[in-house]
Amino acid sequence: MVIKLIALPLIAFVIGIFFLGLFRKITARIHRRYGPPLTQPVIDIIKLFYQKSVSHGRLFDFGIIVSLAGSLAVILFLPFAGICPLESSGGLLVIAYLLLFAPLGIALSGGEAANPNISIGISRKLILSLGYEVPLILILLAVMTHYKTISIAQIVSMQQKTGWAVFSAPLFLSGISYILILPAMLGVRPFDIASAPQEISSGVKVEYGGKFLALATIEHAFHLFIGISLFVNLFLGGGNVFVFFLKMIFVFIAGVFVHSVFPRFRTEQAVKYLWGWPALIALLGLVLAVTVK
Amino acid sequence: MDRNKISKWLKEPDKMSGKYSLWALYFCTGCGIIEVPPVLTSRWDAERFGVIPVATPRQANLFLITGYVSVKTLRAIIRSYEQMPEPKYVVGFGSCPINGGMYWDSYNTIKHLDKYIPVDGWIAGCPPRPEAIFVAVTHLWTLIDKGMAKGYVKYREKYELYRRNQEKVLGTLEWPPLFPIKDDGK
Repeated sequence: MVIKLIALPLIAFVIGIFFLGLFRKITARIHRRYGPPLTQPVIDIIKLFYQKSVSHGRLFDFGIIVSLAGSLAVILFLPFAGICPLESSGGLLVIAYLLLFAPLGIALSGGEAANPNISIGISRKLILSLGYEVPLILILLAVMTHYKTISIAQIVSMQQKTGWAVFSAPLFLSGISYILILPAMLGVRPFDIASAPQEISSGVKVEYGGKFLALATIEHAFHLFIGISLFVNLFLGGGNVFVFFLKMIFVFIAGVFVHSVFPRFRTEQAVKYLWGWPALIALLGLVLAVTVK
Repeated sequence: MDRNKISKWLKEPDKMSGKYSLWALYFCTGCGIIEVPPVLTSRWDAERFGVIPVATPRQANLFLITGYVSVKTLRAIIRSYEQMPEPKYVVGFGSCPINGGMYWDSYNTIKHLDKYIPVDGWIAGCPPRPEAIFVAVTHLWTLIDKGMAKGYVKYREKYELYRRNQEKVLGTLEWPPLFPIKDDGK
């Protein structure tokens, strides 16, 4: 139990950082560049921890830690290949609540710095999370209704008997909807409105330097892990450590392809998209899950 | 990665990580900036050296002064430079920051940039080729390795001098001094 409690965040950290490196490498290869080494995020984080950083007050320090802690708490409730220390408590409902902690922590921290770019970034980030939370909640409701449980571990074990949920009859619509909102959850290119470097000087991260930026990068790595791991658990049927990791990489690389090809949405375009087809498909999926037994 | 490098990483991780992840501030002063986009994008891919552009001085540790520096720009340069976290490195790009270049007799151009902020290295040329940036980056690596790229330490130690030079050109500065200035009773 204790070993699992320590091991799971470590696994999430390693995989998240690996994803960040892979992200930059694949994007570079699509641009026909050689790209940085896979270890580049590790080098960056070490450098950032050695830099002198400027704090803007106590809440500035506190908010980033709250956001990191929120991500860590989600990871403890999320099974990775059967490893789940808090399996018996909470489940999907707790995750649905805790997912909002990360953007709220960042908002708390940015509010202290009083930079106009940060206010714009925060409002965009919260609007975006409002955008994808609506279809996400509908999807989670559909999954919970179909499997009649809120425990992710049970959902995974049921899928190993009946096949992946994304290909099974009542839940495939929810699966499609999740795929459609996944770029928004990960914050990659069509939806990177909250951290747009060209428009608002990288948004909420504009006053982060040194340690703060390192913690924000680690939080981003955790965020990537959470978004993909939740999809693999709910719709791709989990698996052992190796299979689970392979599925995660597959989903992640699809996200990177979307990232490298598409330009950025404006805020209202993003919300219009998220509350359009993905929400509609998710609603249909919920109706299907309730009616079809 | 050879064995020599691993022992270096273990001995001085601050220097090694600072070397291989130089984040350049997106700051365009003059015509030299036209050489920077090809360096960062597909043609000359600076990311393989760990050099990426960042949008804010808080995240940057490499400052490329690309082209002539007018008096108005100098104000912005000093403010950006003071916001960057230490350790930070400045590279003057092109002839103009070195000695004025073709603007040697202009009334509102700064001739010697290193009077106002410390500069760790220069790239000569009008404008230099993109390859020159890579030469500069690799040269900066050796300087960091030998502990010679200490412009930011110099700025801290000789801050009074720099501040006086800045005030001579810009008049009164509307921001407070970055480091405490010793009052020698004048």
